[in-house]
Order: sequence, then C-alpha cells, then structure tokens
Amino acid sequence: MFNCKKVTYLVSESLDRKLPLYQRMGMRIHLMMCKFCSRYKEQLFFLRKTARLLSESGEDSAPSIQLSSEAGKRIKESMARFLQKHQ
Amino acid sequence: MDILKSINIVIFWYISPGFRELFKTPSPFGIKVNKQPSISNNTIENPEKWVDLYGDYLYKYAFYRVYEAPVAEDLVQETFLAALHSIKDFQHRSSIKTWLTSILKHKIIDHFRKKSKEQQIDDIELHTNKLDDLFDRNGQWKIKPAQWNADPQKLYGQKEFMEILHKCLSELPGRQASAFILREIAGESTKEICKILDISTSNSWVLLHRARMFLRRCLEIKWFTHEDDRE
Repeated sequence: MFNCKKVTYLVSESLDRKLPLYQRMGMRIHLMMCKFCSRYKEQLFFLRKTARLLSESGEDSAPSIQLSSEAGKRIKESMARFLQKHQ
Repeated sequence: MDILKSINIVIFWYISPGFRELFKTPSPFGIKVNKQPSISNNTIENPEKWVDLYGDYLYKYAFYRVYEAPVAEDLVQETFLAALHSIKDFQHRSSIKTWLTSILKHKIIDHFRKKSKEQQIDDIELHTNKLDDLFDRNGQWKIKPAQWNADPQKLYGQKEFMEILHKCLSELPGRQASAFILREIAGESTKEICKILDISTSNSWVLLHRARMFLRRCLEIKWFTHEDDRE
C-alpha cells in the first residue's frame, strides 16, 4: 500500500508517462480513499491547465511587462549594424 | 565570341528574379524560378519596424519563460538578429510574428541548455526540505491540500492571480524551473527535456514532481485560503 508521499510522486509522474500497471492500480486505489491526494491530483491538473493558457496567450496577460525603451533602442541599433554589414 | 557572351549575360539577367523585381516583369517561363519573400510585404521589408511591432510581445514571451529581464532582452535581440540573418528563408505560410516566435522558442531552449550546464550544484537533490515538511514520518499529509474550487479559465487573466502565479514560477529553483517551464509551458516531452538539461529520465520526473509540489503549495499559501480540514 502506497502512502500519500509516494502517491503524490506517482500522480506527478503519471502526467509525464504511463505508469506500470501495479503503480497505476496502487495509485488509483489510494486516490479513491484519500481525499487529500485527490485534491492534490486536481491541483496538478489545475497547474497544467493554467500553464497551457500561459503558453497560448502571452499577449493579454500582464500588460505591464514590456520591452524597456533602452532595450528597444539597443536592439534597433544592433539590427542597424547588422544590416549595414550585410548590405 | 564577345557578342555571344553579352547575349548570354542579358538572357541570364532577364530570367533572374532580380531583374523581374526591378522591372516588375513576370517570370519568362510562367513559373517561379526563385521563391523570394514578397517585397510588397511591408514589415518583412522594414525590419526596423519589427522592434516596435513585435518587441513587447516577444519580450513578454521570453520573460515569462526565463524570469530575468536582461536575459529576456538578450533573447529578443538574438531572435531579431537571427531573423535578419535568415530573412530569405521566411515562408509566407506563417505570419512574421509566428516566424519570430518560433525562432525565439529555439533561443529559449538553447538558453535552458546553457544554463543547465552552468549549474554546478545539483539542485535535483537540494531544495527538498520545505517540501518534505508537508508530510509526516509515515508519509501522510501533515499540511493537507485545500479544496481550491477554481476554474483556470476564470482565474487566468485576473491581474492579482497572474502576479502571484508569476511570482511562484519565478521562485522555483534552477533546474526545477527549467523542467517545469519546458514541460508545461513550452510543451516539450520529458525525453526532450532530458536532452536539453542533460539529465536522466528519472531525474526529470523528480524535478517535475518537486516543481509541481512547490508551485501548488506556493499558490495555496499566496492565493487560495487554506481551509481547515479536521474530519
């Protein structure tokens, strides 16, 4: 019988690969009986969904994060130098 | 002989894409001899505008993966320079933004690769103490997970939540952060992550497990109010 600590590890691992049968069964049985580990599983799903959203839309989240004007200027200069060299 | 040579040059020049571009004549054979980026496209013609048009987007994209402003700025700069370098390869099947983003993606993965090599201390074994406090000696929950009742779709985009989420992500230690970001945000397979970070498969599972455990705990403390569970 797996304890909670072990099951949290397996829940995470099951997000990355198909667990061997005995581990999968052990995890499922534990999850049926343990509401805290079930919550843990739900929380990992929440993290995964949120991370997916993060990867899909970088644009609308946090408009305060933007390229500083100094960095923008520096990048433009480096591009101009590149174009001069290669034209 | 000289006349033949000049005729040759003229013919060659006539069929060359450069000539057609100059005089806007169609391809003499009715086929595209060289697939060049269309010059009519404004932005591809004016890379000077890229920084204003796509700079913020790319910066944000990079920042939310590396969490260090100077690194993100460098990655954006490298992306623009790499784009200028390979501007001829630009295919109009995708937008410039998509094209630039895909270059940036590769730059970010390179960054993680380099960073992983630089990390001398093996943080796969470190940073475990705090998480081990969550369980008692028998491996039972000591600090029990709360019921979150949260819909990612609804929370996502809420300013306060996003700030906390990014704060938690930025607090992830070294390779745990790399592994989590590569896996869940960049969508790489664990096999690919092992290659990028140069770690074993079981190490990648450990890193991801620790990262997830840390993040959920961080969100729980900072965002979700902890409900008492005494049943």
